[in-house]
Amino acid sequence: VKAAAEAVYLPLLFLTVALLGGLRVEERVVLTPPPLFALVLAVLLFGVLVRGRVLGPERLMNGARSTLQNLNGLAVILTSFAASAQIFNLIIPESGLPFLLFNVFLFVLLLNTLAGSPDRIPVLRSLGVVLGSAFVLKFILLAALSDPDGGALKRVLLALLEGVTLGTLSQAPLSPATGYAAFATVLLFLVGLAMLPPPARGVALVRSHE
Amino acid sequence: MQDRSVRAFGLGLTIVYAAFIVFLYVTQPQNLAQVTGSLTSSVGAYRVDQRAFDEGLALFRQDRHDAARAAFARADPADRDARTQFYIAYSYYRSGWGRFYNDDEHFQKGLEHVDRAIALAPGGRLVVGDPENSIHDASELRAELAAGLRIEGSDLNPMRMFRGRK
Repeated sequence: VKAAAEAVYLPLLFLTVALLGGLRVEERVVLTPPPLFALVLAVLLFGVLVRGRVLGPERLMNGARSTLQNLNGLAVILTSFAASAQIFNLIIPESGLPFLLFNVFLFVLLLNTLAGSPDRIPVLRSLGVVLGSAFVLKFILLAALSDPDGGALKRVLLALLEGVTLGTLSQAPLSPATGYAAFATVLLFLVGLAMLPPPARGVALVRSHE
Repeated sequence: MQDRSVRAFGLGLTIVYAAFIVFLYVTQPQNLAQVTGSLTSSVGAYRVDQRAFDEGLALFRQDRHDAARAAFARADPADRDARTQFYIAYSYYRSGWGRFYNDDEHFQKGLEHVDRAIALAPGGRLVVGDPENSIHDASELRAELAAGLRIEGSDLNPMRMFRGRK
């Protein structure tokens, strides 16, 4: 089961996230590659995953493993990095003030998490909250504000945002298919992170004094 | 042994899947026909439906351009054949051409198809030696379509109404 998870399930799952992360269903289907800053955020996220004991790279690649095992480990590392970049490509708004704010917010948040000493479960919870919140902000709130037909949510938001120029907030309208695909992609990514092998716990040898 | 087989299978599958994703991002297909068409043309196995193409050509010569384009689309569902794309572009040119003004929407679509034809042609040069056509070269067709979309002073020339459709 361990070999199957490492060689088959994890790489395929992360590659699926990498594929769906760039999917935009508009008048035509567009697959967008990650912008440069998404790669920067992915590097920071990777640091958080390693420091937060979500991913133990030494368990995926080390001298005691065979070449094939190390290649499988490399595939997991590379595909999880590609998925991380695409997940930021997915949850960050495409333009305007939200694009800038999301990038800055995520950059500072990841740096802050990296500076602390988080453990596996808190890091996974924190990522669930961050990705979930970003999804709600982009695909529900910003999408409602950018909806040309409007709706009850748009009227409530307009009342709350009285005085704010919507030109800085509104995005290109998103089709419902993009939102559903994004929801599945975020869930898949979180499942993949939870399946990553954590680093081996160190064993301390303590001499007991008689 | 079983562990080794699973790992080798997984590695192969990962490489194939990753290559497929890169292929999708590069080609940006719009439907399943375009996915399969791109894959088969990448190994030189893509073929147009000759019967549909001949039907489209006959309709094109009768100036029934909507029907002709539908037949050409059936012949080349993946948009991978340079000659069919040339004829679709030519059909848009002929149906969009007007003595007083051109239909910009048709010309724009024609430009997209002729660009695709040029991109698909070996060396970017496509010559269709059909004696019934006035335009044989894809670059010439492209120039006609692009000129039709430009707004110029010569558009106001009254002698323009005596020009002919190619």
